[in-house]
Amino acid sequence: ATMWTDSVMLAGLTLTAIFVSHTAGVSAPGRPRLTGCRSPEKETFTCWWEPGDDGGLPTTYALYYHLEGSETVYECPDYRTAGKNSCFFSKNNTSLWVNYNISVVATNAMGSSVSEPVDVDVVYIVQPNTPEDVRVLVVDDDPGPYLHVSWEKPLAADTQSGWITLVYQLRVKETSQDTWEEYNAGMQKGYNIFSLLSGREYAVQVRCKPDHGFWSEWTSPAYVQIPDYMLREHSMWIIVAVFAGFLLFVLTWTVNVKRSSVKHCLLPPVPGPKIRGFDPHLLKSGRSEEMFSALVTQHFPPTSSYDDLLVEYLEVYDVEKQELVLGVKNEDPLAPTRTSDNDSGRGSCDSRTLLTERYAEDGDKGGADRQLGQCVAELASPPLEEEKVEAWSTPFSPPPLHLQRQQVGGARAAYHSVLEIPCDSPCAPGSYGHQGESDISKPGGRGASTTLAEPQAQSAEYVEVQTVDHENVLLLRPLADPGGPDVDYAGEDYSKIRDVIPDNVLLLQREPSAWPCAADPGQDRGERSCPTALQELMQPCKPPGPLQQGLRLVANGYVDASAMLC
Amino acid sequence: NSTTVLQGWLGILFCSIHGMLGSVLDCEVGGVHCTMSIEMLLDRAIQHAELIYRISEETRTQFKETFIPLALVTQQGHADHLCTVILPTPSSKSEVGQISDKWLLHSVLILVQFWINHLVDLQASLDHYDNTPQDLLDKTKWVSSKLMSLEKGLLTLIRKMLNENNLPLDNSKSIADHLASPRTMEHVMRDYTMLSCFRKDAHKIETFLKLFKCRQTDWPGCSFY
Repeated sequence: ATMWTDSVMLAGLTLTAIFVSHTAGVSAPGRPRLTGCRSPEKETFTCWWEPGDDGGLPTTYALYYHLEGSETVYECPDYRTAGKNSCFFSKNNTSLWVNYNISVVATNAMGSSVSEPVDVDVVYIVQPNTPEDVRVLVVDDDPGPYLHVSWEKPLAADTQSGWITLVYQLRVKETSQDTWEEYNAGMQKGYNIFSLLSGREYAVQVRCKPDHGFWSEWTSPAYVQIPDYMLREHSMWIIVAVFAGFLLFVLTWTVNVKRSSVKHCLLPPVPGPKIRGFDPHLLKSGRSEEMFSALVTQHFPPTSSYDDLLVEYLEVYDVEKQELVLGVKNEDPLAPTRTSDNDSGRGSCDSRTLLTERYAEDGDKGGADRQLGQCVAELASPPLEEEKVEAWSTPFSPPPLHLQRQQVGGARAAYHSVLEIPCDSPCAPGSYGHQGESDISKPGGRGASTTLAEPQAQSAEYVEVQTVDHENVLLLRPLADPGGPDVDYAGEDYSKIRDVIPDNVLLLQREPSAWPCAADPGQDRGERSCPTALQELMQPCKPPGPLQQGLRLVANGYVDASAMLC
Repeated sequence: NSTTVLQGWLGILFCSIHGMLGSVLDCEVGGVHCTMSIEMLLDRAIQHAELIYRISEETRTQFKETFIPLALVTQQGHADHLCTVILPTPSSKSEVGQISDKWLLHSVLILVQFWINHLVDLQASLDHYDNTPQDLLDKTKWVSSKLMSLEKGLLTLIRKMLNENNLPLDNSKSIADHLASPRTMEHVMRDYTMLSCFRKDAHKIETFLKLFKCRQTDWPGCSFY
């Protein structure tokens, strides 16, 4: 009963105090709160609380604890070591694998309040201190420098005995960046960081954790500057690029120097025309004969067919007594085309008709001559003569061997060089009418097939050159009488044209027998020399073959040509 | 990792039976012959202890989340005191420093053997609940198997390193005494208390083995600097 009375009184006093305190503005302190406990090395630990409302009065705080399995309450041994509102448990006061039941009591004049109790087992609240002595070293290496980070364990942690096992972690960041890169270092106390950018500044931090516990705080950052360096690959590529550039330069210069040959190689010139067998180098050497000899083929011009060529156009014109008219049919277009009468195919002797026509044109110039049987053989008008001469001369350009083949007195086909105009004694134009038994091919007419049909021996009638008038016209006169040479031939001479040489010179063939032999001393002289005409005139000569006529030198200076056999 | 460690411990089982001489042990992993040194065996023991601790912590957390309402959490502190009664163990570093190597290994062995027995009870108790997660049951079974492997390895280590052949079995009585007391509590709290104590002892096992290792070899974790 006494106790009950005391408790009632106590309660009444408390209520009165509370009432009074409320009216006065002060109260008991609010409940403090334990914020946490930590052990840095699993040997000691510290607990912190935060005070509640102090109630307006000075308030004291006390921490009480008791171990599990024991009712003994102990008060915190050390309030100062760990700072304000803390309690530090030393090694002697720390037991592991034992739960501590801790609570804080706040007390002021008005009362006290107790915090929530907290159970703490030291082994589960281990949070080590930060690692010590963080050092960062820049190491030069082959591709580039790297960082070697080293540190020490926290001071208080006993890792030697194995009491606490720590694992470490570090992080690196470029100072200008925001993101960290973390690396786990395990239990080692060094680490290498590679692939850092040259010329940048980096910050490094380290922390640690026990095998079962909390991570420590990060160390204060250690700053390091990476030196400038060039990657080996970059320098290699630079060298390669420089070398390639040099090669390109050399190549371009070479192409530039030899651009003509390069152009020749790439764009070959179009080959020009080339004459086979033609060597332009011979031109330079000046030996044109060799050059042109290469051009000359073996069978050109067809020299073998000369005879055929010349023979082909022989024409025989039979006048009365087997007169022969031999002429050359030339295909030369320059040859004057003669008009022909009914007897087509007259050769050169168509000139007779022309002559007659001329006479008709020119009037009656030589009408009397006509009566004499003079035949005017107009070889050609000056231009024509030249043409004709040239026309004749063209086939004759080879050595005039062919001309020598002409038969004396023979109506052979080789008489292409001879121009003999058959003349009748009357030599009248009309006399031709019935004489034309054999055709004379026109100069541009048919071939000589018909003409060759009469190769018989025919007596040739010779004409003598009477005059050469101003128009280069040979005035020929037929030899009417093949008889007495001396009498009949007074003033009448005949000649056989042997050749026509350039400069429009007629080479007349001389017959030894035709010469008037002044005497007869050496008639049997077989000399076949070709003396001058005068000499020959005086020399005895052999009688010619068929020709029995002689030669006489006409007084007027003209040479009466005579066939000469040389 | 756990599978490899299990296989390793199975190999250790055969090794311990043969009782090889020297610092190199013959073992057999899945029918394949292998050799192992004492240091390697000790490392494997430490790995086992680490695994067991991690799983015990997960199991306790999962059990608390599944079965313990918030109202009862505050009372958990009262159940934890059971743990310290089981076996007197050093509670500070100074005390541990005074313990011999032999006692360390023996303490570990005692703890392992204790919990091999009690986990069986725990599993039986968990099976009685209606909504026990299968994952929880699997974990407790897994832990039990790992404990047995660890026990075998410890026996080998004791034999090899301490040259002892007798196994301390004195603590069985003390274990049996404390089995009765949990009945006063609710089943859930009792199981939770057991898981909490088991977690604590697993941590002890791991710490003691690491201490023992640092006394024997130059392990990187045992560096002074």
